[in-house]
Formats: sequence, structure tokens, C-alpha cells
Amino acid sequence: MLEWILRGLHKGRVTTRYPNCPEPSPDGFRGHVEVRNETAADASLAEVCPTGAITVDARGRIRLDRGRCILCGDCVRARPDRFTFQSHYETAADSRAALIAGVTDDEHALESTREALGRLASGLRRSIHVRHIDCGSDGCEEWEIQALWNPYYDIQRLGFFLTNSPRHADLLLVTGPVTDPMREPLRRTWQVMPEPKALVAVGTDACGGGLHRAERVTAGGVDQVLPVDVYIPGSPPAPIAIMHGLLLAIGLLTPEQVVA
Amino acid sequence: MTIGPGIELGNEYLSARLAPAPEPACAPEVRLVISHDQFDTAARELRNAGARFITIFLAHTPARTLTAVLALSGRLVLLRAPLTAGLPFQAAELGGWWPAARWAAKELLESELGNASPTPRLTKPDADLLRPTVAGLDVFTIPYGPVRSGIFEAIQFQIETGGEDVPRLQTRPFFKHRGIEARFAGLRPDVAVHVAERVAGIASCAHAAAFSQAVERALGIQPPPRARAWRAVHCELERMACHLDVIAKEAETTALYVGQARFQILKERVQRLRARLTGSRFGRGVIVPGGVRADGGVGLDEICSELDELERDLVRDRRLFLGTASMTDRLIGGGHLARGLVEDYGAVGPVARGSGVSTDGRHERPYGDYDRLGVRVVVRREGDAMARINVRFGELSESLRLLRQAIDHLRRRGGELHTPLPEFGTGAACGWTEAPQGELLIWVEILDGIVGHVHIASPSLRNWALFDHAFPKDVLTDFAFIEHSFGLTPAGADR
Repeated sequence: MLEWILRGLHKGRVTTRYPNCPEPSPDGFRGHVEVRNETAADASLAEVCPTGAITVDARGRIRLDRGRCILCGDCVRARPDRFTFQSHYETAADSRAALIAGVTDDEHALESTREALGRLASGLRRSIHVRHIDCGSDGCEEWEIQALWNPYYDIQRLGFFLTNSPRHADLLLVTGPVTDPMREPLRRTWQVMPEPKALVAVGTDACGGGLHRAERVTAGGVDQVLPVDVYIPGSPPAPIAIMHGLLLAIGLLTPEQVVA
Repeated sequence: MTIGPGIELGNEYLSARLAPAPEPACAPEVRLVISHDQFDTAARELRNAGARFITIFLAHTPARTLTAVLALSGRLVLLRAPLTAGLPFQAAELGGWWPAARWAAKELLESELGNASPTPRLTKPDADLLRPTVAGLDVFTIPYGPVRSGIFEAIQFQIETGGEDVPRLQTRPFFKHRGIEARFAGLRPDVAVHVAERVAGIASCAHAAAFSQAVERALGIQPPPRARAWRAVHCELERMACHLDVIAKEAETTALYVGQARFQILKERVQRLRARLTGSRFGRGVIVPGGVRADGGVGLDEICSELDELERDLVRDRRLFLGTASMTDRLIGGGHLARGLVEDYGAVGPVARGSGVSTDGRHERPYGDYDRLGVRVVVRREGDAMARINVRFGELSESLRLLRQAIDHLRRRGGELHTPLPEFGTGAACGWTEAPQGELLIWVEILDGIVGHVHIASPSLRNWALFDHAFPKDVLTDFAFIEHSFGLTPAGADR
């Protein structure tokens, strides 16, 4: 056992200092898609997206819904003049509307959700117990959430703890587009959590269904079933992106505040 | 009748026995067209000859055809029985006497019958519906899942226990069924590969490669050598990440927290290397039908030096792990699977290789670069959880060796990364890879350059059928060890 301890100490500190210091992402990392030039687009632009995340309105303005974007890069390859990958991690948003890039947000609606989140955050203490429920993810969101407790990210230093019972949980992380058999377990898990509580949708599948259409077998996003407080898009979102979303949920960061 | 090792079972033999009209297919795929009343006899004949069941499904082109895929001494045998009308009840017959076929047959029938299926349905599980089977005063039933304790994927285990021993366990998959096979239809192959990557995220590269190979085989093209070497690099890195994840989880269950942290660090380093290579921590967006999209974003020398560093740490951590008695005591003898059981259920991957069944898609039917790389299959005979972990340790070293060799090939091979697909190609074929969880097979039909019906034979689903039998002498507290030693993903199984 002593050897293990020495082995552990030998490595020294590997933990990120995020959010006190920015965490640089590797070059070429596909963090999110940015629209370069929003205006005067032709309608055929929407066809390059396999999930329907890109739409062009009658005035030729491009809207990119990050809640549906799976970061496949088809648009960036087809139209590098219009779309480009950004490598930074911080993509979480506090409303579904804020995930849509390219149009001016409905400021009023945004303001009210932000206020609600602020009230919620003030009710949560700095010791946050997190519960996770899988509603049909592809499995990599779970890996990235688990990674938050590994020595590189060690989210426990920020006061986040995993709990096995929803009755002890403050935050519920939901992954996946919500499949039919998981609707009821999800609703019940949320119901037994004590107030104040927040629901975080992790991954594009949970934010807006991603590749999965809203149809017989899936609900096409968590907000079709329960109200979502924070959306973390990405397919899957990197651990730092999830950490950013969690800090947003408890009010340690605001959506405008970007560390990187 | 048994066929000894080294005796080749040729097409001629099967053709004569089964009187079929073989369909054209490229080696090592053998297609036997039989009438549906011959189906059962043919399957029995093949099972007696030592064939391993892979999957059964309905192919849609050119007509509805009941297709069973079997692996027989290094080649795939596709039994194809055209169904002009009616339901594929031959599948139910097959599932009745061949344990390996039970779930696959049930899934097929339920998808055909829809709401008329008999209950309880495999593909439409109800978390509240418990069906205890063991009678006894002290026996109670624990529904474990689909909301798990900890960060795990959704699956339910119905555990019947008297407190200690587990007389019966029933695995109930399909809580995560997203109907992803239907999502492929109507897409171009280069778009459909995004769907393939999202079947089981932790095995994205294996799924993308299997799908791409199916498309390439269906359209009769070959990816260029450089692309094949890159695919091997991405797939082996993925295997390393998955195996390290399993080992870290085993360390966590014994509360060996430093060990857990060490293996998590190794896994995270592999994931970061993959992020630098491909822009995605799961290697997504690189493998496409016809080849790969780009060279890695990191120089080959840099990959090698990262691998050297990984290996140095891995060797030390492995020695410590295997020398920690509190760890190995829990694993040795736990979750024992007899070889016969593994063969009956047609298990694959580390689960099979831990019980002495030497099956590895990279070796049996080498694809891509693996015929040049020459995989050494790691097999252990003990059949317990320790054996499965030892197989994974062995494969980690093997992956490092394969990676170095593939990088060596990349150094010497210039040239193209992508072979263009014929624009309006038509065809149907199987593609396979050895995913970290076991052999994965994808059947793809393409009509005029557009993907039609797709069927995925997931290693996780096949191995999970065996999990019900993994508690011969074990107690309830061993559950987590045994589950992690299987290392499966519900997302892949449920699709």
C-alpha cells in the first residue's frame, strides 16, 4: 500500500486550476461551430447539416442551433467561408434560446430565465451534491462526467460531490434524448429531489435531441419532458465544458463570464 | 460431427450439404441461399460444424430475406432465406435451441410483430414490472437500475437473492433503445458514418470503421494503405482507453483509490492524445467510408514519445495493481464462466478470451491493416474476473505494439488518404471490427449511393446474455466487480 502512496505522490499535481485560470484546449479541438457571416445566405446552406441545426430564414440570415449540432463538421468542410470550428470549451448556456447562434436573442425571455437561475443558485450552498441519470446517451457523456472526478479535473475541490440517492441531490445531470422507457424513471427521480434543485442537460442529445428525431422512441431532448436550467451542448461536451456548465448552474460563473 | 483445427471447411462442402445457390459475395463472406424450411436444419448443421452465432435479422434488398450470420473457421457464413410473405418464425425456432440466438431472435420477432408481441417484451422494458422466478421464504428481488447509483448507463438487473448468494439474475437491456438503425436510412455513406459513431460512443472508431468497411465491401472498393494504417491507430487508441477505464473502475470498487487515480490518469492521457490527433476526445469525424478524412494533428514522433511515456507508467502501475492482494483477492475466482457456456452464448471479446475461447476479429478475419500487423490474441483459461482483467492488461501491451507498428507503416507509406466512392453504387455487405467490447458486425445495404437498411450486431448485447450466468458461486457484493469485468456498454446493445 505504501508503494501506491509513493506512486501517487511521485506524480505531483496534475489538476487543472480552472476556473481560476483558463484551461487551454488542444489545437484543432472541435469545441463548437461559429457562424462567420450570418447574412445573405441562400437556402441551400441548410442542407449540409445532417441534424437540421442550420436554418436560413426568408431574409437570408443563418441560424445555428447548438442544441442540435453534433459537431460533425460537414458544414465546415462544405462551406468554410460560412462556418468555422472554435476550440474553446465554454459552450454551456442557461436557456435553449441562448444556444442558437446567429440571431439576436429574445432579451426579455433570456432575462427572466437568468433571474430564475440566479434565485436558484443563491439557494444552493457551496457543497453541491450531484446525481446523474442516463436517458439514452451514446455512452461517452458518462465517460466525460466521470472524468470530472479524475485527478486532472477533480471537481470535488470546487465542492461538487456525487451522491447515489436523488433524495440527497441538488443537481441532476441528464444525458440522452430521453427514450420512452426512461421517461417515467426520469420524472420520478426529479420529483423526489428536494428543493432547491437544478436540472442540467449534458450533451447535444439531451439539449435538443441531436441526431435523434423527436418521434416514437425518443422525446428529442430533456426539455420536452422537464424544465432544464442549464444546457451543455457538445457531442460529447469535454469535461471542462461540463464543469463550466455546473459552475453556471450554481451561480459561481455567469454566462457572460468566460474564463478562457 | 466435429471439425478439427486446421481442417478447412470449404464452400464446396457446405454447398453440397445444404444444396444452396450461393450469392456472389467477396471473401471471406460466404452466402448460402436456402428456402425457409431448410433454415433450421442448415443452422443446426453449421452449429455442429462448430459455427459461432453472430446475429439474425431481416435484410431488405433485393427482397425481404431472413439472414443469419455465423462465424465458421475464419469466414462468415450468411444463411439467407427469402421471405416472400409472413413472419420470420424460423428465427424463433433458432432462438429456442441456440442460447446465442435467443435475444437476437426475440428482437427480430418483436420488431416484426410490434404491439402484437408476447409479453414481457425484450425491446420494450418496463422498470416496474418484476417477474421473480425463485420461490423461497427469504428470497427477495432487487430491481437494480435503470437509474443506477453512480455515473453509469441505464440498464436494469433483476437480482433475486436471499441476502448473500444470487440464485438468479436477469439482465434487462433496451432502456436506451433510440431506434438508431432506422436513422441510417436515406443518408449518403459519408453522412451516415456520423450515425455509426453515435451507436456506442466509447467505441466510436470501431463502429465507424465497421460501417465504413461494410460500405467499401458492398461497393467493391479498397481504402488506400495509408488510411488503413490510420484506422488501426485510432481503433487501438480507443481500445486502450476502454481497457484502462475498466481497470480504473475495478480499482474503484475495491476502494483502491490511488490505483483508480493512476489508471484514470493514463486513460485521460490517451483521451487527450486522441483529442490532439482528431479534434475529438473520442476520435470522431475521422474515419469515413473510403478512407480517413485527414492525417493526425500530431507528428508521428510525438505520438511515439507519448506512447513510450504511457508504457513506462503502465508497466509500473500494472505491477503494483497485480501485486495488491486486496485487489486480486476479490477478482480471482469471481464471476466464473465455463468455456462451454461462453461457446453456447457465442460470447466475444475479453469475456470470451478470459474463458479460453480464442476469438478476435482482428485475427480470425483480418481487416484493414491487421493482416500486415499480425495480432497476437491474448487468451486466459481461468474464466474468472481476474482472467478478464489480465486479458485487458495483455491487450494494452499488444495495442502499444500494434500502434508502433502502424505508425511505422505510416512513416513508410505516402499517398492518398481516401478512395472516392462510386457515385451511384449499389450493394450489400457485412463489415466487422474487433471493438474493445468484442467483435462488432454491421450489415449495410446501399442503393444508388444511398444507405438503406442497416443492422448492427453489437458485442455488448451478445455478451450481456451471458451475464445472467456470471454468478455461480458469488455473492451480491461481488456484483460491481463482475459487471465491470465484462466492460460492456448499454448504448451499443440497445441501439
